[in-house]
Amino acid sequence: MSWVHGLRDRLRTLFHPGERDEELAEEIRFHLESEAARLTRNGHDQATARARALERFGNTAHVMQATREERGPSTSGAPMHDLRWALRALSKQPGFTALALITLALGIGATTTAFTVLNTVLLRPLPYRDPVRLVLMREKTATGAIRPVSFPNFTDWREKTRSFSGVASEMFVWSQTVTAGAEPLRATVMGVSSGFFSVLGVQPLKGREFTAEENRLGGPRAVMVSWNFWKTEMHGRAELGDIRFGDEKIPVVGVAPESFRFIDDADLYYPHERMPGTCRSCHNYLVIARLGSGATLESARAEMSTLSRNLVRTYGTDTEAADVEMIPLRDFLVGDYHVMLLIVFGAAGMVLLVACTNLVSAQLARGLARARELAVRAALGASRGRLARQLFLESGLLSLGGAVLGATVAFLLTRGVRFFGAGLVPRLEELRMDRSVLLFTALAGVGTALLIGVYPALTLAAGSPGRLLRGSRGSRVTVRASVWRLLVGFEVAMAIVLLVGSALLIRTLHNILSADTGFQARGVVTAALAPGDSLDLPRFERLRAELGALPGAGGAAFTNVLPLRWGDGSGPVRRPGDPLDRNWPAMAGFRLVSPDYFTVLRQPVIRGRAFTSADGAGAPLVAIVTPGIAEKLWPGENPLGKQIATNYLFDQWLTVVGVVSEASSWAMPRGGQNEIFTPLAQHSRKIEGRIVAVIRSNGNPADLMPSVRARLRSLLPEVPAKLGTLEERIARSAADRRFAMLALSLFAAIALVLAGIGIYGTMAYTVATRTHEIGVRMALGATPHGVRMRILGDAAGMAFGGIAGGIGAGLFVTRYLQSTLYGVSHVDAIAYLSGAGALLLAALLGAYIPARRSSRVDPMLVIRAE
Amino acid sequence: MAKSEGELLPGTFDMLILKTLSLGPMHGWGVSERIERLSGGVFSIQQGAVYPALQRLLRRGWVTAGWQVTENRRRARIYRLTATGRRRLGAETAWWDRARLGVGRVLRAPIQER
Repeated sequence: MSWVHGLRDRLRTLFHPGERDEELAEEIRFHLESEAARLTRNGHDQATARARALERFGNTAHVMQATREERGPSTSGAPMHDLRWALRALSKQPGFTALALITLALGIGATTTAFTVLNTVLLRPLPYRDPVRLVLMREKTATGAIRPVSFPNFTDWREKTRSFSGVASEMFVWSQTVTAGAEPLRATVMGVSSGFFSVLGVQPLKGREFTAEENRLGGPRAVMVSWNFWKTEMHGRAELGDIRFGDEKIPVVGVAPESFRFIDDADLYYPHERMPGTCRSCHNYLVIARLGSGATLESARAEMSTLSRNLVRTYGTDTEAADVEMIPLRDFLVGDYHVMLLIVFGAAGMVLLVACTNLVSAQLARGLARARELAVRAALGASRGRLARQLFLESGLLSLGGAVLGATVAFLLTRGVRFFGAGLVPRLEELRMDRSVLLFTALAGVGTALLIGVYPALTLAAGSPGRLLRGSRGSRVTVRASVWRLLVGFEVAMAIVLLVGSALLIRTLHNILSADTGFQARGVVTAALAPGDSLDLPRFERLRAELGALPGAGGAAFTNVLPLRWGDGSGPVRRPGDPLDRNWPAMAGFRLVSPDYFTVLRQPVIRGRAFTSADGAGAPLVAIVTPGIAEKLWPGENPLGKQIATNYLFDQWLTVVGVVSEASSWAMPRGGQNEIFTPLAQHSRKIEGRIVAVIRSNGNPADLMPSVRARLRSLLPEVPAKLGTLEERIARSAADRRFAMLALSLFAAIALVLAGIGIYGTMAYTVATRTHEIGVRMALGATPHGVRMRILGDAAGMAFGGIAGGIGAGLFVTRYLQSTLYGVSHVDAIAYLSGAGALLLAALLGAYIPARRSSRVDPMLVIRAE
Repeated sequence: MAKSEGELLPGTFDMLILKTLSLGPMHGWGVSERIERLSGGVFSIQQGAVYPALQRLLRRGWVTAGWQVTENRRRARIYRLTATGRRRLGAETAWWDRARLGVGRVLRAPIQER
């Protein structure tokens, strides 16, 4: 196949262009010698023969050139040659190359990491079968509030709808002491209805899911375990056996698959339908359903609305579900995070843009410094297209290197994000770089190459070689000052937007942490204890006293539920005469606290009194309520001395002895989050195996934690304890903002440094090209100080242009942040001023070295150099 | 090369090289020498002109080239006609015959005064 030979020939030229020339030279030498030999044989003397041979051959240089040209356009373009030229150009300036690679690696790495998170959390399907058909349903009250679903409503929905191929529900997790091996342990239990796993389309790894029979009051007992629990507590044994819940042995019927997770981590799954049913206005379940074939979200919504109206007609005010809130399950699991993730992704993209801008100006400055080299090449016959191609190849190589390094950076960053971000953002445990991430990195690399390559290549290759070679100053290829201004201005503007964004989020976080909660969270250490189902009161009283008296501690107390957890233990309250089963006048969280609780938390008692040690077993039953309950139950009356009951303590009438200020948080503003407090000593049976010690610290709570832990270990060695701080809990409620804040701050810092480097580079180049002008100025009497100030002024001028642009862009862009801000407007003067100040400082720092260099120009040297 | 080919008709030089190589593989000097000899010195071609032409034929896949050691122990680049090259030579020869006929007819046509 002749074309194969041709191809091989061309490939050889591609990789060894020099070798081809040598071969040709050898061929010509052979030719001349052969011809000379023939002429000698014909009677010429050797010298004449050689001369004649040369004459008959023609101009060897012409022949070689003509032959080279015949090698064809693609081979004479010699991409390998261009590539080597570009590599050489880059390796001649290792400092620049390294800096450029680092810049690009950071930009591409940050963008890729942000995309990985975005991809995992938002774009990748949920780990359930055909997840787009899954919806989540909650009750919508007449006032539009969204509430979990009551059990009777759930069963009605399940029986009376046709839109779904399956409806199931999940009860919130609780923790319970169980025994799977030798030792009892605290396990997290999730209540699931029958069909829960099949609606999600998840097959148990071993065994089966609950039958309808097991999910019925009085049916056979059964429990399922998570993969993790099966591996660690049951040692992955094939014989599932049973687990002890207190005195009861419950057979394990199945193991969930390893990757399975629904909203919360759980060790055990318990058939919640076998628990006694609760009231129609008690909200304890999340309902999931799979849309049947033919049903759409809209048609299912319409059916559910009709059903809700029918239920309201039947049960009246018993049901609070005036309507049904139905959203795709994905939206519920990912929640508000998509705003945050898009913000973070956008910010990363801006960092990449800043990095690219930096490289455009660096390439321009570098190209101008090499103008003479380029001119020589042009004079030697390199076409403009060829020069542009070679220059572009340099940018291409940098981008390729940047993309490869960026992928590495992203790989490391992704691990960091998975480690530090777990719990801050949902689904992060699934985080990994898949094919779409790699495709994204490749695209980012190509985009970068185009961004940083095209403009410098075209500009620099456009110079006229003639003028350049004559070497007169002022006739070089020039890049207009406005281009430099534009590039630097763009970088500065981007950096400003990022700085303002991160400043706004920092202020938001600060506001969230210092928001008025109705108590003082700062400085409170919490120790969650799992003492089992019975509480040895005297022992706990001793523990409380000792914890409160620790050095650095200012009192300790117990509660069964920490503040700001309204979902826990919430139920109806009623007055004497209110019906038992309907028309509850108010809902409240039921809390058991020890006497000093309000003092330790610094939650002010507004009316009446706090609990004392006299409110013990045998003493009259008392309660303290929040103002919301008092207003609803006894509007305009004095609540003190009134009787109240909750469905946690049936038929036990409590006397209200005080009103305590309501706890609230930034996410749950004051009003309507009602709580009812009762003395722990009067209802110690109701702690349900969990109790939390709160210890007020006089200094840094972290300093107090070790001694608290030591004391717990010595006094309650058999009780598992988990330490933390109240402030941490509040911070966790703003975890998405914290995640975005951390990412944005990091990106803003990178952009700030890059902008500083950009200004440094531009000013250094300006000073270098203006050496002559500066020399003349100094010869004419300008002082070094004056020259320096002039350069710094120039830099400040450039920065101001960018700052003005950045503030404008910031005002526009941060509107999208508005919904995530708390207690600060997106037009926040402090954020903008601090952003502008930081940038101005970076600009002056960047310009300082070039400015100092400019003031050291020796006028004599400059003028002699003319 | 048009320059070096002198009075040669455009395109004919390649044909001559193909014809020469159809007699057997040979090196560049051999090709130029053979053409000179066979044409009886009709063309005044500079010998060097065969090299760009050979390169052109190589690129089109009509000849191949390889280094061989000659009888007097010298490394020489030997060119060889490929099957495509041979077909091409046939086509070119046929075309040349037709062209020659046509041109000859025109040139020999009697001149008629009007």
